[in-house]
Parts: sequence; C-alpha cells; structure tokens
Amino acid sequence: MVHLATKRTEKSDSFVEVKELKKSFSLKHGKNLSVINVPSFCLGAGDQLAIFGGSGSGKSTFLNLLAGILTADFGSIRIGNIDISALSEADRDVVRSKFMGYVFQSFHLLQGCTALENILVTMSVGGSPNKEKARDLLSRVGMSEKENFLPAQLSMGQQQRVGIARALANEPKLILADEPTGSLDPENSKQSIELLKSLSSERECSLIVVSHDRSVVDRFDSSMKWEEINQADMANNES
Amino acid sequence: MNLNSKFGLICFLSFKGLKQHIFGSLLAAFSISLAGGLFLSTLKIQKQTQTSFNNASGGFDAVLGARGSKLQLVLNALFHLDASPGNLSWEQYELIKNTPGVKEAYPIAVGDNYLGYRLVGTDPQLFYKHEWKEGEKYKLRSGRVFSEMAKEALVGSFVAERLNLKIGDRFQPYHGLNFKEDTQHEDVYVVVGLLEATGTPSDKVIWIPIKGIQLMEGHDAEMAQSVSAVLLSLKGAAGFNLELKYNRRGNQATLAWPVAASLASFFEKMNWFRGVLQVIAYIIACVGILMVASTMRSSMNERKRDFAILRSLGASRWVVTGVILGHALIISLLGALGSLLIMQGIALVTQQIIVEQTGVLLGGMSLQLVDLWVFTGVLVTGSLGGLWSAVSAYRSDLASNLQPTS
Repeated sequence: MVHLATKRTEKSDSFVEVKELKKSFSLKHGKNLSVINVPSFCLGAGDQLAIFGGSGSGKSTFLNLLAGILTADFGSIRIGNIDISALSEADRDVVRSKFMGYVFQSFHLLQGCTALENILVTMSVGGSPNKEKARDLLSRVGMSEKENFLPAQLSMGQQQRVGIARALANEPKLILADEPTGSLDPENSKQSIELLKSLSSERECSLIVVSHDRSVVDRFDSSMKWEEINQADMANNES
Repeated sequence: MNLNSKFGLICFLSFKGLKQHIFGSLLAAFSISLAGGLFLSTLKIQKQTQTSFNNASGGFDAVLGARGSKLQLVLNALFHLDASPGNLSWEQYELIKNTPGVKEAYPIAVGDNYLGYRLVGTDPQLFYKHEWKEGEKYKLRSGRVFSEMAKEALVGSFVAERLNLKIGDRFQPYHGLNFKEDTQHEDVYVVVGLLEATGTPSDKVIWIPIKGIQLMEGHDAEMAQSVSAVLLSLKGAAGFNLELKYNRRGNQATLAWPVAASLASFFEKMNWFRGVLQVIAYIIACVGILMVASTMRSSMNERKRDFAILRSLGASRWVVTGVILGHALIISLLGALGSLLIMQGIALVTQQIIVEQTGVLLGGMSLQLVDLWVFTGVLVTGSLGGLWSAVSAYRSDLASNLQPTS
C-alpha cells in the first residue's frame, strides 16, 4: 500500500522534487532525441505553478513523467515521501489514482459514460466511489444539470469542467494540467483556469499547469519558462 | 451497477463498451451465432438423421421381399420411399409367417396412391397387435381400423392433416406410386379411421386392407395372389437362420436383416457427403474463430483511447485487460445463445423438410450435452478473440495513445 505524506518532510521543503531527470526517445534512424534534462525542480505543498513553453518542447512528457505514465532514463521524482521513479508500474498506477488528478487539453472523457459516470469511474479506480460526492463536484463546476449528459452532448467548455471535476474526484494532492485551455475559447479558458485554481486552493492540493498560452500563465502568481526548467537542447541533439 | 469493487468496475465498463459500440458488438455476436449455429446444426442434423431413421423402422426387425437390394426393400417397405423391387407370392408370405422364431409377419402391398400419398395394403391386425415402438401400439385419433374385406381406409396423421381427410370422406385412388390425374381407379374408399402421429413414415400413408390393393380394379390378376413385402418381428436367433435360408442358400427372396444394418449401408454410401458436411462445419468454425478475433480486434481498436484514459486515471493494466475480456465475454455469450437459437431454427426447418419428404421426425434436436460443449467452445473462442486484443492493449504504450500536445 502506498502512503503519501502531505506535509513538507524534514528532508525537504518541497512536495514535488525532481533531480537530474533525463528522458530521451529513440528515433527511426537509430539516433536518440533528448527531450527532458531537468537538473532540479521543486514545488511546495499546495503551491500553484504555471509553466510556459512552446509546442513540442517536452512539457507534456515532463507531466507524464511526474504522473508516472512515462519512466525516466535517469534521475528521481519525489512526490511527498514517495520516490515515483523507484516504483513499479502497478504502484505508479496506485499513486496516480489516489494522489493525482490529470486535466488534458482534449479532455479525454470516456465517451460512453455520462458526466456523472466519468466522475464515478474515476472514483472507483481510486477505490472509493461516492455518488453524492460526485454530484457535489459536478455542482462545484456548475454541471449539476448536465450530470446525465454524454460528453458528445456537451460543449467544449462544459467537457473541460467535467474534466476538472474528474481530476478532483479522488481528492488528489497534486493536479497536473496539460494545456487545459488549448481547446477552449477565451471566455471558457478564463473560467476553467479560475475554477482549477480555486478548487485546488480550496482542497490544498498542488497544481502544475503547462501552457503555451501567455494569457493562461499570467493568471498565476507563480510561473516559470519551460526553458528555465528543461536544459535539453532539442535543436542540437546528440546521436 | 456496483462500482465499489474492481470486478464491478470491469462489468460496468464492459457493458458501457457494448452499449457504446452496439452495432459492432451485435455484428460480432451475430457472426459468432452464425458460425456456432451452423457448426452445431451440421453436426446434430447429420447424427440425428441416422439415429431417427434407425428408430423409425416401425418396430420391425426384418423385411422379406423380392430378390434384389436390401436397401431398396427397406426404403420401400418401411419408409415408403423408392419403388418396390418386385413381388412375393402369397405362399411365401404364409411360409415365413409360420416359420419358428417369427413373432409377427404382416404382408404389405403397394402400387397405388391418393393425390401423391401412398396407399399401403396390409393386415388390420398390424394396428391391433404390433408395437411400432417398444411398449407403443398404434393409437386412433378417431374412428376405427378398416375391415379386412371392406373398401375402407385408415389415414396416417400427416396425410389426414395435409389432405384434410375426415371420417366418412370418400376417395378414389390413383394407380402407381406417383400421382397422375388420368390414372384414377373406379374403386371408392371411405375413411373409417384417423391415426395419431407416431413421427414415423407410417404417418404419411393411407392404410387399406391388403385385398384392396390386390383386387383393385385395373390391377393384373397375378397381383391378387402376391404381396410387395412382409414386415417381420423376430425372436431368438431367427434372424441368423432366415438370413442363411433366404440370402445365402436361396434365390427366391431377399431378407433385409437387421433393418439398421441396411440403413447403415445407406448412410455409408452417404459417407462422402457427411465428410463434405464435416469439412464445411470445420471451415465455418475456423472462419468463425477468425471473425470473432477480427471483430473483437476492430472493436478494441475503436476503444484504444478509452483504455488509455482509464490507464491515465490510474487503472491498472489488469483492469483494462479485464474490461476487454469482459466485453469479449458478453459478445461471446450473446453469440453462444444466438448459436443455440440459430441451431434450433435450422433444426425446425430441417425437421419440417425431412418430415414432409420421409415422414421421419428428427428427434434429439432439443438441447443436449453436445450443445453445452459447443456453447462453452463458442464462449472460449470468443474470449480468445478478445484475449488477443487484451494482450495487445496490456502491452500498448499508454502515453502514445494519449497523444501529447506539446
């Protein structure tokens, strides 16, 4: 069983701590493309951070590494007291289901399930489905009246609201949002980011948002340029 | 549905997948049904036809007839098919009737029809004493058995239904085994009894006194002293003795004994056909397996994104594999149930055709152990089709199916 310490540990003040993280992908002609080279990255418990960077620069790969969806070639990722990089895939699944929420650009809702069912399935994956809590979450994102709608029956903005509610379903300690406004118009974009920020803050969970949209990044008190975090030189990759 | 357990979650998502891809899923289930149903029907009909023909010999052990083919003798005398190979004299009938070891001997005479249904002349005692199946004598639905010397008829159930014959109806027979309008006899017969169904060829016959055929207006005088065949029930070793007497040492008559052996020779002649059917059945089964696998594969491909989403939410590879197998199992279950339905449908149609052609009612077409095996086989096959996709999903790269945006 994986237990996550939510308070800052004695060892470190950071809730998310990345050291010497490297990830590269093999290309067809036998060369390696180095995508991630993060010497150091920290985020405190309950902190919110926006990372600004261009498309194709490895931001999503970084989030996938944090979430344990991808494994690093080198380095360590510590979330709370858990060293993600040392866990088996099954344990990373458990950490992801219980302690993390993920918001995608293209929402990635289960198309065959209603808004409510999307939340309930996520809760079930995390081990504690609760219809009342799911309804409450939908209510918090203003989707109470659409709980029985399928994703295809919802607008883009509404789908992202369900996506945000889903990310909060298992009371995560860390929310990762990958271009959460990429498919939304400016108004919906603004609302979604404010919702994400306020709900994360209310639940005291850390939030990392990556975006190539300056207006999104500007809504955060704390932001970083991706180039400041990642030192991989993708333009001049070694073979 | 209960989402509190992993099993509940797997069931829920399996049903959701079925609902979401209802057309593809039903198409897959139908493909499985068709393959399973055809496979099962081919096996069962082939087996049951032989069994039912053996059981439809009317409770007789042997048939004595003119010198010739035993099979033709059996088909003509017991199944009322094919032409009579010739006649026996009345003395030969008397002789075998009084031979030790012969329990029952009933003469029959054929050669006339009514609107295509055979008239068979015989001894009325056949309907009083003979057991057409162990412990079963002929039963009358209404009326009585014809009198030995009267122009009276006892009608088989199938004929009565088809020609709507009732007690008191009168008819004039036609000459020959096949109906020709210009061959009508002048003799008028009256229906005095209707038989209950037996599921044997006797249902397709109009029974009259043997004198009726022998003395029918227009028949030659020689026929008055002859019979087409003698139906025999034997006891002890009489069969061996009569076989020696008629088939090996004599040259006047042929004894078809045992009846099942003559029929077996018929089915042996059909072996090539049975072989073809079996090959077809196996080809259908192979096509079915491929169909299941490819349909499951294509259905699973459509759901790749869903599975990647589930994995990103933290669902383990096993949960995703379980959802795929659950979906495959539901499709296979529908397919297996459909197989039984299709088999029953084909059996009903085949039964009807065989009854109309021969009067033999195919038995054993209800659910049996073999159905359970095929049912299980279809389930396993369908699940194997899903397993291929499940393994593929299990091994697939999660991140690539989520398509990173930067």
